[in-house]
Amino acid sequence: MNRKVLSKDHMITVTNFSKQYKGFTAVRNLSFSVEPGQILGLLGPNGAGKTTTLRTLCGIIPPSSGSLLVAGHDVVQEPIEAKANLGYIPDDPRLFDTMTVWEHLAFTAAAYRLADFEEDAEALLASFELTHKRDTLVHNLSRGMRQKVAIACAFLHDPKVILFDEPLTGLDPQGIRGIQQAIRDRAKAGAAIIISSHLLSLFENLCTHIMVLNLGECRRFGTMEDLLSEVGNTDSTSALEEVYFSITQAPDQSSKTAAA
Amino acid sequence: MDPALRQLLILRLRGGLRQRLLQLASLRGLLFSLAFGGIIWFLIASSGASDTSLFGPAAQDRQALSEQIMTFMPLVMLGLSLLTVLMTTGPTFHFSPNEINFLFTGPFRRRDLILYKFGAYVAGVALTSVFIALIAAPQTGSALAVFIATLLTLVFVQLNSAVISMTGHALDGSRLAKIRWPVTVLLCTIAAAAVLYAWISPDRGIIDLLSDFRHSWIGSVILIPYIVFAELFVATSLSQMTHWALVAVIINAALLRAVIVLDARTTDRSIAENARLSNRWDRIKQGGSFFATQRTEVRSIRRAPILGGLGPIAWRQALNALRNSSKLFIVFVGLAACIAPMSSALGTPVTEGHTMVMIYVFVAFILPRNLICDFRGDLSRMEIYKTLPITPWRICAGQLLVQVLLAYVVASTIIVSALVFEDIVTTQVALVLAAFALPLTLLIHALENTVHLLFPTKLVAMGRADFEFLGRSIVEFIAKSLIVFAAMAASGAVGFITFKTMGPAIFLPGLASWLTLTVFGLLTLVAMKFAFRRFAVAETIE
Repeated sequence: MNRKVLSKDHMITVTNFSKQYKGFTAVRNLSFSVEPGQILGLLGPNGAGKTTTLRTLCGIIPPSSGSLLVAGHDVVQEPIEAKANLGYIPDDPRLFDTMTVWEHLAFTAAAYRLADFEEDAEALLASFELTHKRDTLVHNLSRGMRQKVAIACAFLHDPKVILFDEPLTGLDPQGIRGIQQAIRDRAKAGAAIIISSHLLSLFENLCTHIMVLNLGECRRFGTMEDLLSEVGNTDSTSALEEVYFSITQAPDQSSKTAAA
Repeated sequence: MDPALRQLLILRLRGGLRQRLLQLASLRGLLFSLAFGGIIWFLIASSGASDTSLFGPAAQDRQALSEQIMTFMPLVMLGLSLLTVLMTTGPTFHFSPNEINFLFTGPFRRRDLILYKFGAYVAGVALTSVFIALIAAPQTGSALAVFIATLLTLVFVQLNSAVISMTGHALDGSRLAKIRWPVTVLLCTIAAAAVLYAWISPDRGIIDLLSDFRHSWIGSVILIPYIVFAELFVATSLSQMTHWALVAVIINAALLRAVIVLDARTTDRSIAENARLSNRWDRIKQGGSFFATQRTEVRSIRRAPILGGLGPIAWRQALNALRNSSKLFIVFVGLAACIAPMSSALGTPVTEGHTMVMIYVFVAFILPRNLICDFRGDLSRMEIYKTLPITPWRICAGQLLVQVLLAYVVASTIIVSALVFEDIVTTQVALVLAAFALPLTLLIHALENTVHLLFPTKLVAMGRADFEFLGRSIVEFIAKSLIVFAAMAASGAVGFITFKTMGPAIFLPGLASWLTLTVFGLLTLVAMKFAFRRFAVAETIE
């Protein structure tokens, strides 16, 4: 029931994407697209295929089949062009422990060939409250701080596509608020964003679209309003939580197919 | 020791044994362990053979070997002790974060915790001693005697280092601590003067000077505790052995007592040092360097060079080398500088087969295994490289650049020291060697990275008896050496053919030979690019 999605307006276009690991299918025939300004939330239990989808989109692992376009560039055929338009923030940012915060930004600027980056870098440091940590070696930073550095690096080249894998892990309440606002700002500026998380409240706060994955297949894809309207008002749990459990714990999950 | 800690010790030993057995259960683990066993068997067999003795020709003459042990073993042990004082790198009794969380908060006395760690160490060195005893038994006649001597000596080295380090910590901030560096400078000056004297004296080598010092009355006084352990190794009868073993046990018991007393005075420092050492081990497990900067903040470098994408990668590795590996690099340059004078002093010039093999092992095995400023140190960060908009070959070249340059400096230091200390190495020969060293270094390190990317593995052994790791290291080294030797042979063959066809001048054959070796290096870089593209980042299935 997947349909091929092709449009000039789509910043991310995934068509019939599958990924197999040694006989195990992590993602099966996945198709979806994300337009500029949209924030897509990837939702699903452990092993659903969320991280595999994100890592394939940003070129870390190759797809087994299907096509994945980032800003119109195929991640397999034109990886350099695709990556130049992409920012990826992994769930556990592994920074270079011998480099300072500022040097990470300088490294990113050189890698993405940004001639004048200092002003933007300063602004990012300020927005993430990292200015006083600019000369700190990153292995001395807390996990939340390292997460902020990774996000600042991902934002530096003003990517058209941003992929977040569990972006709020390790952040304090101020940090969470700051990151959420930064994501909204980027989307307003025209970036297409995908967020993978287990925090349903994050999706309710931020996402314009939701895709529910289970066992590597798309169970539901649509706007947040559509999904919530299906459930209606609930007494004790959030509407999205209701949707999530109704889809992932339904006895006949396979009967519900993706709608794109 | 507390019964609970004794129980923990037994459980951990059983766990270690179970882990080794599980390694053997897999085909790969079995093969690599067999390879390691084969090497050990070869060493045992060869040490029994007459012409490939482990300790050289002197081993054939028991009397001469005993004299060498009595003369030099105390000196080597003194040298190790001095090195410990200079390069204190953490607590000698290291508690892991898990042990600190579980045991430091448990109802145990510090004394019991020290005894627990000591017990774990003794169990480890007992295993090492078994191996040494097996290898040395054919030459010494009694495996049990070698085992006892080795065990007591290794325990002494550990306890002696602990006492020296802890004394240093206890004296921190006192007046005595201030004399550490002046004394170091004084000792270095004496050593330099001795080397200089040995160099300019035609009939007195450095070995003669060391021997004279050892047998002087002042040398005997300074080296008394170390002489006991040398006596253990050269004991010729059971009664002698028992006598010296008893003395050694008393010395070790006294040192253990000193450790317990000193530990009570240095608890805070000990915890800080434990945390630092744990961070270092974590870094090593991720492929980093042991000798990392302890500073929290440094002056940031404002910009990275772009150079089409190659710049930032090489820049990042340069920073890594500067901040993480600079001490290690200096140590390697120092060792490289010592190779020619040492081999000259020992009467085995660098042009001799044995020495050349040692130099090869140094530059192709020891150096790449320790000085790591390339992909091998970035296994946990491969995601970053995979997401960068930089072509794979530029990433590979950028990763290799700093590593090759550093290794080339070390190789050049060996050549320069050979030029200074060996008559046979003229300026022309040195220049040719320096020219060939560059593509050879590129080949060795590109090969090292290619193999690592194709078959990624941990860079450190998981415990003392990680036979799979040891076996794999040896097999990998042999495989890489075969490729390196094949490239060198091809390079030599091209040079020879050019020499035969183009006349007696050696420039063109040399150039052809050099170009061939360079092509092999560049081909390996292409293979490395392929390996990088093929490299599958740990594929979390979620």
